[in-house]
Amino acid sequence: MGEDKKQKFSAEEMEIKIDYENIDVEEIMNQIKRKIASRPAQEIEQQEEETRNDYRETIPPPLTSPPGGLRSKIRRILLKLMRPFAPLIKLMVLPVDEELRETVENLDYSNRRLDGLTERLHQELSRIDQILGRLESKIDLNHQLVNESFKDLGRAKEYTKLLHQLTHNLVVEMTKLKIEKDHLKIQSRILEKDLAFLNRREKEVEKKVFS
Amino acid sequence: MKIAFVVQRYGMEINGGAELHCRWIAEHMKKYYEVEVLTTKAYDYITWENYYLDDIEEINGVLVRRFPVARPRNPMRFGRIQQFVFHHEHKIDDELKWLEEEGPLAPALIKYIDQHRADYDYFIFFSYRYYHSYWGIQTVPEKSILVPTAEHDPVVYLRIFKELFSLPRAFIYNSEEEKNMIQRVANNSHILGKVVGVGIEIPSSWPTQQVLEQRGIASDYLVYIGRIDENKGCDKLFQYFLKFKERTNYPVKLVLVGSTKLTIPHHPDLIYLGFVSEEEKFAILQGALLLIMPSFYESLSMVTLEAWALEKPVLANAHCEVLQGQCQRSQGGLYYENYAEFEETLKLLLEDDKLREILSQNGRRYFESNYTWEVIEQKYNYIISKLEEEKENK
Repeated sequence: MGEDKKQKFSAEEMEIKIDYENIDVEEIMNQIKRKIASRPAQEIEQQEEETRNDYRETIPPPLTSPPGGLRSKIRRILLKLMRPFAPLIKLMVLPVDEELRETVENLDYSNRRLDGLTERLHQELSRIDQILGRLESKIDLNHQLVNESFKDLGRAKEYTKLLHQLTHNLVVEMTKLKIEKDHLKIQSRILEKDLAFLNRREKEVEKKVFS
Repeated sequence: MKIAFVVQRYGMEINGGAELHCRWIAEHMKKYYEVEVLTTKAYDYITWENYYLDDIEEINGVLVRRFPVARPRNPMRFGRIQQFVFHHEHKIDDELKWLEEEGPLAPALIKYIDQHRADYDYFIFFSYRYYHSYWGIQTVPEKSILVPTAEHDPVVYLRIFKELFSLPRAFIYNSEEEKNMIQRVANNSHILGKVVGVGIEIPSSWPTQQVLEQRGIASDYLVYIGRIDENKGCDKLFQYFLKFKERTNYPVKLVLVGSTKLTIPHHPDLIYLGFVSEEEKFAILQGALLLIMPSFYESLSMVTLEAWALEKPVLANAHCEVLQGQCQRSQGGLYYENYAEFEETLKLLLEDDKLREILSQNGRRYFESNYTWEVIEQKYNYIISKLEEEKENK
């Protein structure tokens, strides 16, 4: 497997204790989860973040130790007084303390993740608010445009009515003119006939006068 | 005794999902019962367009009756209706409309079941979410056995299915998680139900070395086998694997087997082989250090069972309850929820040969005690004999 090339990550280094005689996957996973929980939350989130493309957030920094003061002075005095009994106390308390510490770490990690998620939620909500605001102003603008268009449409409607009226009048006038034209045609034909009759009469009169 | 297996698609060309599951079960149960398959003429699971021509044919000794799809699915319309049904207040009618669009719309199949109910002793319906199961079970509830193949997605919470889940005589589940989910949704724990799953067909031999040489795979590798799709968590897998390589520089590659719907990033450590034959698949799986299963939705991961059959450990997506449950029950794999866990579990598996070996052995034992064909056949026979007993007692 290319021992020289690869990075060494033995189970011991990872502080994961495996009972090979009696493998318990859940227990291994719990150890892994505890190990990850003991890391600064930022590191974990950063890793996760780097694998994500959609959005980027920052997780609140890990909790720092409480500031010094009267409580810390009392604590130091108590610790001094308890020093002779320290081995006994450690023997009695350590396993519980260890459990407690791990639980607190887990809770702390969860809290910080929850805080991070809440913050992200707030950011998303404010972004949605902004988008909604932009949409509202766009809708207002569109509303104005629609009103303008309605006015234009009204004007166009009136104009169309006038045009229709004009067309109607034109048709009536054209019809009248056609009738007039037909009438004139008939009159001109009558006049032609009269003229022909007068010509013939003229010729007859000429014949009689000169014969 | 005559049993009908009712499934949305059926054929040698269909090589995955509930359809393959159904074919394998039908082919194995034919030695105990007279078996027939009632299905549609569809091949494409997106449009359900009629593809097969024959009304009746025989596939590996099983009689298959095919019924036409009356109207193919319009993916756009289906998407719109699904969006509405999943995300808005709606009525039962909307859900029924969704079901009709979900298809495959084969009323002739339901009519046949109705007219020939007396010819069969039991109808085993595969995949609850399709038209054939919903209306088929409504038609013959007294003879129905349902293999839901349900995943933990929004479909299972539709109201029409709550009613459906109280109708069959028995359920055959793929996993404990699926059983719990359906019983939680429908409150139907009084109905006979057993976790069975499916056996695995393993070829007698496969030329591992030859295949690896042909494919040019020389170094250690992890393998993913299946549809390369966002729904299967592959995009996340690529991100996690490339990040893992960047952070650890571990000399390991990721081999991808299966048809793809995603653009695979160009990286020397991502080897995409596309669709391969069954023998090649087993050869590639045999040569791998472990199988990665990044899917979010699984009712039963057949490839995970194949990995355990070949004594390979599994690294699964913990967001999929079924995969996580299988890893815990089998003690045959680890699982991850986020990148940090992915890195830790993968490092542990790659470095700790002994752990890998023990997980592999556990996986194999789990496979042998739950997923060999003898076990699966016995479980099916048990369900049917139980139903027969109930019938006699009435």
